[in-house]
Amino acid sequence: MIQNMLICRCEEVLLADIVASIENGAGTLKAIKMETRAGMGICQGRTCRMLLEQVMDFHTDINVQEANNLSYNNPVRPISLANLSRSGKDSEP
Amino acid sequence: METADVVIIGGGVIGTSIAYRLAANRKVMLIEKGEIGAQTSGACDKAIFLQSKKPGFPIKLAKASRMVYENLEEELGMNIEFQKNGGMIVIENESHLDFMKQFVKQQNKAGIHVKLVNQKEALAFQPCLSTTIAGATYSPEDAEVNPLLLTQAFAKAVKRKGVIIRRHTEVTDIVIENGKVVAVQTAKGKIATELVINAAGPFAPKIAEMVGIGLPIMPRRGVILISEKVKPMIHGNILCSQYIATKHLSHQTDDTSYGVGLSLGQTESGNLLIGGNREFKGYDKSVEPEVLSAIARHARRIAPSLDFIRIIRTMVGFRPFTNDGLPIISEAPHVKGFIIAAGHEGDGIALAPITGLLVASLVDRDLRYKEFLDQLKLDRFRAYNVSPN
Repeated sequence: MIQNMLICRCEEVLLADIVASIENGAGTLKAIKMETRAGMGICQGRTCRMLLEQVMDFHTDINVQEANNLSYNNPVRPISLANLSRSGKDSEP
Repeated sequence: METADVVIIGGGVIGTSIAYRLAANRKVMLIEKGEIGAQTSGACDKAIFLQSKKPGFPIKLAKASRMVYENLEEELGMNIEFQKNGGMIVIENESHLDFMKQFVKQQNKAGIHVKLVNQKEALAFQPCLSTTIAGATYSPEDAEVNPLLLTQAFAKAVKRKGVIIRRHTEVTDIVIENGKVVAVQTAKGKIATELVINAAGPFAPKIAEMVGIGLPIMPRRGVILISEKVKPMIHGNILCSQYIATKHLSHQTDDTSYGVGLSLGQTESGNLLIGGNREFKGYDKSVEPEVLSAIARHARRIAPSLDFIRIIRTMVGFRPFTNDGLPIISEAPHVKGFIIAAGHEGDGIALAPITGLLVASLVDRDLRYKEFLDQLKLDRFRAYNVSPN
């Protein structure tokens, strides 16, 4: 079943979950993310962001450019707590 | 023109909690400029701490809110991951021991079950902690909740009660005639109403300015690191005594420490939430990398076993700060039909349930919560007509 297609593999969110969220009124990627956890996993949406845009485009007439209100925050790649603690300018060696 | 009995501005945990209590016998509209629960309420930790509150009225208020939590899941009909797992405040070094002993004595007098535990006892409960800590305090009354689910649960419940929620709708003006609120102007149309509730959290001063009121609320920025999912390793929530000192003692942020104090918890999905800090940086969300390192450094000093856990994201939120650490839940002195319910700083999650009840009581003009409301009035700040920004 296409509805069982995995969109966000990190958080195991199915296409059906995304569509249900849109049908419930979620009109942006951030709204979908907060409701379904799609994009909250270890890859931070690197895989599912494009897919989410496509689902949005297919199921609504919302402009995808406008609907993508996800923000990019540090760190840009996963980093261990130990390495993060050493990464600032004024940290101890 | 659309009409409503009440227009609530702000779709965070406070606004949705208020909507829930007001919806029973009124036409309520809730206006949110972005997404529901996506600003302050979506960038915070998950603790409902009692033991960290100041003795006296703040504890009384927090306890009343904590009572509402007992049945909230059932009331809202949705799992909000409410857990009564207790909470711990780590005392990092001997120099904080006297301060914390005093603190425990105070809290016990105020009726909070909290006790001092030694290093061995602390480590037995939280094996992630460092063997260099001096001890800890523990309270079984502290609890936790998933703030994202909490706001969503309120939002879903209010929809069922017929509340109209307008997302992506910014309030641009509040229309006053003869000293009374008559309408709310939004970017998407005007709503006629005689009652507005300002629940815009850190943005509440901007809304209050529209009716000529300067609110003594300032955005205080907090940052939290989010880790990858790991197996359960944190029981309840952990703060450090530095956090208590930062919360209760200093109004100014020490430049070299970025106002860092540990707040550590684990979500049911397995992510660790590692906070945090308190800084006055206006509404600027761009966090210097040094702040992230400082938070990481502080966390691994107290919990070295977190060293190799990977951080996947950081979140930034503005806490609505007031200089006495209490929210403003009050009618405006010179404008009829304008109620303020903001300024909870870092206690918004803990105090959201009681805030809804307090505002409902204020609107209904019953005297159920008079004792509470008397202490939360705007006019307790002498210079309330002067905006701090």
